[in-house]
Amino acid sequence: MYVIVVGGGTVGYYMSRDLLERGHEVTLIERDQRRADWLETQLGSIVMRGDGCEVKFLSQTGIERADAIVAVTADDEDNLVALQVAKRHFKVKKTVARVNNPSNVEIFKALGVDEAVSATEVLLAALEPPITT
Amino acid sequence: MKVLIVGCGRVGSQVAADMDRSGHEVVIIDRDPNQFSRAASRGVLTNDFKGNQVVGNGTDADVLRRAGVEDADGFVAVTEGDNRNIMAAQIAKHIFKVPRVVARIYDPERADAYEKLGLHTICPTLEGAKHIEKTLMEK
Repeated sequence: MYVIVVGGGTVGYYMSRDLLERGHEVTLIERDQRRADWLETQLGSIVMRGDGCEVKFLSQTGIERADAIVAVTADDEDNLVALQVAKRHFKVKKTVARVNNPSNVEIFKALGVDEAVSATEVLLAALEPPITT
Repeated sequence: MKVLIVGCGRVGSQVAADMDRSGHEVVIIDRDPNQFSRAASRGVLTNDFKGNQVVGNGTDADVLRRAGVEDADGFVAVTEGDNRNIMAAQIAKHIFKVPRVVARIYDPERADAYEKLGLHTICPTLEGAKHIEKTLMEK
């Protein structure tokens, strides 16, 4: 499977590393040059520096043949736009988002993102059953 | 008409002040409370502004709900971030069904892409450049 990961923060880094270990082909997109340089020392030439929301840049990543794109930056709006561009412009089959605000899970799905995962929501669920007073 | 404006920069505060003066119900939202006082010190959004000022993130549906998006007739997204404007405008249009929604998008390519998807976009980069060239050639 060919997967594009947008955002090389902690989540993006571990995700890419894991996908590579499982034998998948990965491109990791990071906007910040210094961070991208560091990621490259860890993961090799799969790292590309650029803006994952830009059509021109994305077209250089081989996105047309990607099986999935995962957007895991810390900003919900950037994740949304990257995935909408991937879905609508490049017809990527599977789009997966990390969302920070739990109420964006439903909003992202309504706006065309296939899967949206909220760490906040997962952590809250881990506290179940809720402590009752 | 009830209008929600997300982003209290130069454009947002100007639209808010003008629409308030012409008798519309205006709510202006910004995540930075200092933006309201900055607008006031520029002589926009002064004491005679009758609208509401809400501090909060305009891409947060709960903030928008508190600001009254559910019965808004118009929605304007003019923060400094293209993606924030795109997201706020889509929430207003598709989740809350606000009839008139306008988003400012500086990146011409992104503006074009979202215009094709049915979002009413304004691209100051293209429109500004066009206007400047036109003015230059006239003189």
